[in-house]
Amino acid sequence: MEMQDSQIIAAPRDAVFEAILTPEMLKACISGAQDVTGSPDEGFEAVVVQKVGPVKAKFRGAVTVVDVVPGRSLRLIGEGKGGAAGFAKGTATITLADHPDGCELVYVVEAKIGGKIAQLGSRIIDGFAKKMANQFFESFKGEMEGVELS
Amino acid sequence: MLLKPCARWPMNKLVSKAVGAPMPRESARLLVEGRGSYVDDIALPGMLHIAFVRAPFAHGRILCIETADALQMPGVVAAIDGKELAEICAPFDTNPPGVPGHASAPQPPLAIEESCFQGETVVAVVAESRAAAEDAAELVFVDWEELPAACSIAEAQSDSAAAVHSSFDNNLSLHHRFGAEDVSDAFENAAHVVEESFAFGRQTGVTLEPRGIIAHWDPRAEELEVWQSHQVPWQMREVYAAQLGLSPQSIRVVAPDVGGAFGLKLHAYADELAAVAVSKRLGRPIKYIVDRLESFTSDAHAREAKATCRMAVDSEGHILGIDAVVDSGFGAYAMHPRGSFGEAMQAAQMIGAPYKVGAFRAEVRGWRQNKAPSGAYRGVGQPIACAITEDMIDLAARAVGIDPAEMRRINYRSTLDEGTRATQSGLVIEELSLDACLAKLMEAMDYKTLRAGQAALRENGIYRGIGFASFVELTGVGAGLYGPLGLPLAANESCRLTLQPDGSLTCATSVTDQGQGTLSALGQLIAGEFDIAPNMVRMISGDTGRTPYGGGAWASRGMALGGEAARRACVRMRDGLFEVAAGVLQCEPSALAFDNGEIIGLKGPSGLTLAEMGALCHYRPYDIPTGQVPPMTIEESFLPLNLPYITSNGVHAVHLEVDSELGTVELLDYWVVDDCGTVVNPLLVDEQLRGGIVQGIGAALYEECVYSEDGQFTNGTLADYVVPMAGEMPAIHVDHITTPTRASGLGAKGVGEAGTVGAPGAVRTAINDALSPLAARVAKQPFTTRRILEAVMAAENLE
Amino acid sequence: MSEDTIRFTLNGRDVSVPATTRGHLGDLLRHEFGETGTHIGCEHGVCGACNVVMDGVVVRSCLTLAVQVDGAEIETIEHLGSDHDVAALQNAFVARNAFQCGYCTPGMIMTARELLAGNTAPRREEIRDAISGNLCRCTGYQAIVEAISDAAETLREMADE
Repeated sequence: MEMQDSQIIAAPRDAVFEAILTPEMLKACISGAQDVTGSPDEGFEAVVVQKVGPVKAKFRGAVTVVDVVPGRSLRLIGEGKGGAAGFAKGTATITLADHPDGCELVYVVEAKIGGKIAQLGSRIIDGFAKKMANQFFESFKGEMEGVELS
Repeated sequence: MLLKPCARWPMNKLVSKAVGAPMPRESARLLVEGRGSYVDDIALPGMLHIAFVRAPFAHGRILCIETADALQMPGVVAAIDGKELAEICAPFDTNPPGVPGHASAPQPPLAIEESCFQGETVVAVVAESRAAAEDAAELVFVDWEELPAACSIAEAQSDSAAAVHSSFDNNLSLHHRFGAEDVSDAFENAAHVVEESFAFGRQTGVTLEPRGIIAHWDPRAEELEVWQSHQVPWQMREVYAAQLGLSPQSIRVVAPDVGGAFGLKLHAYADELAAVAVSKRLGRPIKYIVDRLESFTSDAHAREAKATCRMAVDSEGHILGIDAVVDSGFGAYAMHPRGSFGEAMQAAQMIGAPYKVGAFRAEVRGWRQNKAPSGAYRGVGQPIACAITEDMIDLAARAVGIDPAEMRRINYRSTLDEGTRATQSGLVIEELSLDACLAKLMEAMDYKTLRAGQAALRENGIYRGIGFASFVELTGVGAGLYGPLGLPLAANESCRLTLQPDGSLTCATSVTDQGQGTLSALGQLIAGEFDIAPNMVRMISGDTGRTPYGGGAWASRGMALGGEAARRACVRMRDGLFEVAAGVLQCEPSALAFDNGEIIGLKGPSGLTLAEMGALCHYRPYDIPTGQVPPMTIEESFLPLNLPYITSNGVHAVHLEVDSELGTVELLDYWVVDDCGTVVNPLLVDEQLRGGIVQGIGAALYEECVYSEDGQFTNGTLADYVVPMAGEMPAIHVDHITTPTRASGLGAKGVGEAGTVGAPGAVRTAINDALSPLAARVAKQPFTTRRILEAVMAAENLE
Repeated sequence: MSEDTIRFTLNGRDVSVPATTRGHLGDLLRHEFGETGTHIGCEHGVCGACNVVMDGVVVRSCLTLAVQVDGAEIETIEHLGSDHDVAALQNAFVARNAFQCGYCTPGMIMTARELLAGNTAPRREEIRDAISGNLCRCTGYQAIVEAISDAAETLREMADE
């Protein structure tokens, strides 16, 4: 599945770009992230626990960062292996542009899911993937703007 | 206030004419009261539970397996991988020596290094409870390298296809031809040639009770006891003996109450074998119940096929020739132990079976795919062959310009007068009664009125269709199928009949009953032979420790074979008792008969009831004048030696309405006239037909295992895989023509699959009949609203 | 009793079990109380095999958490044989051969009983609608519809007497 959306973030473009590539920020923004380590050059590793419908999934994720145009755009390639639950993999292409209110972040996410969680059908999976992506970028906006998110 | 007892056939009423009586299954009343005993209802002391880690990829290489975290969890006893289990358990090797060119990779109970379909078992986590095992399974980490996969049939057969299993360099698992090498003459001289392409979606049986097993290896006695939700306990005894290197005599397999089977529970599954091997490894009882998510990806799948067919007819509508190619999707491994080829072979060989087809040629290929293995499901290939045939008949009738019912009638095989004969495709077909079935059907449905109504409604833009499906069904399949293939599978059915001292009878039968009611019908048959109440006959089944050797339940054999074995045992038992009675009564045995459980002699009632005979033979043998005690236990086994199978036949018809704007189908009415020979119990037979028809309607309209391009099963829940519910199903009118088979004294043929064989063809032809004014046709099953709308729109675009 | 105990009435008996947050009612009935007449089919709320009566209303025991039954009254197939409606249904199911493997039957009877409680003379279509949340994979439903109709007739006759 593929999805696209954008966020206006009240922060300067360069600051936004820099922030998105820190483990702390990734941990704060990935829903269910328990542990995130690494760097943009070496890639990140994360443990994420999520519940998809009736299936509880613990993913060991690896994220690599490619196609970096500093301050402008980058692509995250992620793969999460979920043990008994299955796997998830995907890419997120992020483009930043100046905006009167700060910076506009446009993201295009492509996600693929396999194993037990894939069985639940697009009914549940698509909604879940959309929720995960939206949560990520909403949390990111919140973190950047210093707003407490419920 | 007293409730009336179950009214129609009180069990204390004697059955003087047992065969043909619509007696209810009083012995199965406990199921209605929630007192059944299915595998998950059984608990053994010290029992452990398994949760499996299954492969998430269609094709993958296992790089490493980490179980340390899982083993730390409370209640966890073991986490076992494929390498460990391989030390005590051999992989399934499913390559029947008698099928030339058949090729399937070995399938271990737990994948070792390579896994070939999403859902293949990889690690068995064993714990004190299922919940603890599942929690721990989530902590097992398997590192995978995803490998290229071939999932659809088209992908599997392409020249550049990835190999489904690394031990092969292509994906062709079977290639066979039926009939003539060349049929071009028939087509060159034809008045009309019609041609169509077909596709059949992958299905699965969806038993309401999922598969389940309890295995108990007793290390002290070195004996294995298995309780399994299964159709064929004797087969499973041989399978476990072979895989674990045990003597079959040290194994007992019990099939308790089984919550639906439909062929799905005919196979040996890797996960169930793993549960047995784990019990042997740990020396503890192990329970494994397949959950619904697992059952979708690991139960036998079926039906996935593509086909093309050409039919040549003369100007009057007589069929001159059939030329077909069937490509069947086998999945990753051949299903053990019977293989996956049965569906493909019957899908090709049975095309045109009810008709005189002139020249015949059918080529069949089976393809490995990175999907769940395919196996037997009710009807095995015959629903595909029937649907292809019936659609071709309708196309040809339209080309010739004759009524589709008439087209069928003039082409039917009528071997009733001609006796048993072999067809061009190699089928051996017994007496058929298709024309009689069709005549009765057309009267029941009031065909002319329906056609007139259809024409009138079309004027108003209402599209109704009438569809027919004639079928020939191979039932009670004998040893001629698996014997020559070199597979150790019993095809006979047996009955061990015992007269107890109190005059009651015990029938231990090799036939198993998953709800068909076969056991009740066998009891009814036996009771009728002695003219006693059915509750005087105790049935024992589904237990290798207590029943004689035999097949079980497959290929519609319960009454056809098991019934005949029971009848023969009764005759021998009676003969022995009459011998004794003749001595007591000083008459010829031929002068005796049973009435109300008592032997009637020349002077009427003799006082020699079954109870008296039981006491005499068991306790007072010295009072027997001849001094010869007849055997109190008789064992009879039956399989038709002069026929490979017993052919039943029938005709289905459906009346439906297609909404051309919504793509929906409303089933208005359904009729079937079936000839399954002697009907022992019409109450059971009719509901077998109806249940089979509803499964066939499910195949036609709803059911499909939808895999993504990369081999992920995407609708593996009962919310997403749609099965027929009561609200959408029509009234189904059942009637019979009775042509007893000459293969047995009882004359019963099989009936369990007749509904499923015909219904998809009837619904297909009816939808295409409804859509014919729009010049639209559907070819890919199931005929979902989307596919029907696509067909309507494609036809509109052509205009 | 401590807070960690679930107390409820099961088939007229007061029972209690330690509370667990993860289990559903179906597993609780089957594995803690041995009431195995309630069957687990789809684990998804679709098939109705696990139907039980909770405070007079039919619920899916696979979708009902065990903790939810605290203080409730639960009835299952095993002990409803003394109920006239259920007995009439059971007789009719046997007489009509409205079951094969029997796995769906207890749940089906729960649904049918609820139908007849609110509609003493349901038409065939009403019966089909009412049981459309109960999957029977064996029969063609027709015998079930007839059996429920027969049971309704029997109960009407009894009420008249």
